[in-house]
Amino acid sequence: MGILISLGRYMVFVRRIFSKPEKHGIYFRQIFREIDKLGVSSLGIVAIISFFIGMVVIIHMTSSIGNPLIPVYYFSYTTRDVLVLEFSSTVLCLILAGKVGSNISSEIGTMRVTEQIDALETMGINSASFLVQPKIIGMMITTPVLVILSIFIGLIGGWIVSIAGHLMTSADYIHGIRFKYDSFKVLYTLIKSVVFAFLITSISAYFGYYTKGGALEVGRSSTLAVVYSMIMILISNYLITQIMLG
Amino acid sequence: MIRVDNISKSFDKNEALLEVSAVFAEAKTNLVIGRSGSGKTVLLKCLIGLLEPDSGDIWYGNDRFTGLDSDQQRNFRQQMGVVFQGGALFDSLTVEQNIRLPMDFFTDWTRDQKLERVNFCLQMVHLPDSNKLLPAELSGGMKKRVAIARAIALNPKYLFCDEPNSGLDPQTAIVIDNLIHEITLEFKITTVINTHDMNSVMEIGDNILFLSEGHKCWEGSREEILTSDNKVLNDFVFASELMKKFK
Repeated sequence: MGILISLGRYMVFVRRIFSKPEKHGIYFRQIFREIDKLGVSSLGIVAIISFFIGMVVIIHMTSSIGNPLIPVYYFSYTTRDVLVLEFSSTVLCLILAGKVGSNISSEIGTMRVTEQIDALETMGINSASFLVQPKIIGMMITTPVLVILSIFIGLIGGWIVSIAGHLMTSADYIHGIRFKYDSFKVLYTLIKSVVFAFLITSISAYFGYYTKGGALEVGRSSTLAVVYSMIMILISNYLITQIMLG
Repeated sequence: MIRVDNISKSFDKNEALLEVSAVFAEAKTNLVIGRSGSGKTVLLKCLIGLLEPDSGDIWYGNDRFTGLDSDQQRNFRQQMGVVFQGGALFDSLTVEQNIRLPMDFFTDWTRDQKLERVNFCLQMVHLPDSNKLLPAELSGGMKKRVAIARAIALNPKYLFCDEPNSGLDPQTAIVIDNLIHEITLEFKITTVINTHDMNSVMEIGDNILFLSEGHKCWEGSREEILTSDNKVLNDFVFASELMKKFK
């Protein structure tokens, strides 16, 4: 019963978020701020993680399925698919759920307990829309870009290890990552990233917005936001994969 | 004028307000006093529409506020200014941006007009040249004054203050009280202040409403409060030894 009530409240919250903005110009400027705050600030962590995962995946592929009968370029081919299909969208968004989700939830939760949200409402401003809509749009624009960047950096990591570790030649590696290229898989991963971005932002904002109490509850909301965002990412990952590739 | 007709509000089984009726006079400083947990903040939140009463009506002039839906109430609130207990300034915005925010949303003024209005509001609260400061750089009293400046930015007809001088030293508290009183008189605003500070009551209270355990216990002027024979009121007003001696 509690889950149904929460789900209903979440739906009402999302409807409030996407009600007509009071002034488009303010929202538009706010979207750029959020892109910078949530997206651009995540570039570093995305680059580092993707680079090292790319390096590790190619080593795993070589050691696990290394066989004289399998052409070496298959290792970079499978590395590319691991990055494109799952790592750079799903795993990356799970990481972003931790970083960005807790940030959003604690920011909005603190605004709630310090009455800043009440202050917005008493000014006649739709607080849910003003605070959350730019974040959702900003994240939905930024996340696909981060995903593409993650794929690219991951492949560079794999390439460096392949050359440095004498796993294959540069030509083999590049042949592998171009082998059986299917742009539909990239589209699939981009669609996933947009859906995940929406889930991370809206769920985290929801938990922050309905925080009651003080600092302790803000921390609790932040934890719940990350946990529920991750669960919803995993569930929707399965559903999208089943629909698009199943 | 704001009229409250028999409003009640409860949370689960806790009754916070029980059939409270009152009239808050126009261009006056109306004080709601009472002990902590007496229902002052609940009443204030009902008045500004942040809480919906279980029963009863709230009237702003001839407009029945409780009959409006949430979007209509939000629009109506553009006529209100609210000063929250902690100031509720937006941490990421400067003083100027905090005061300008309602103007950005609800006016078509030019940048210069907005700046002029911000500076005027800051002058009113005796904080000139503090435009570029962040809330974290302000003292408690300064935060309250900026909150008042933000509340009056759009010339509200109604001003609500929730314990505006709590946590302040006595001198600053008097400054804040006088400031609210001056603004009320100058702009003929209907002001409602929640407080349990007896200094405020004696300094600026034109009309006083006393709440106890969610009930309206007493209503009158600051002169009448000293001579009232209401026991619950007397226990509250003359709680300290100093006040007992004063009586």
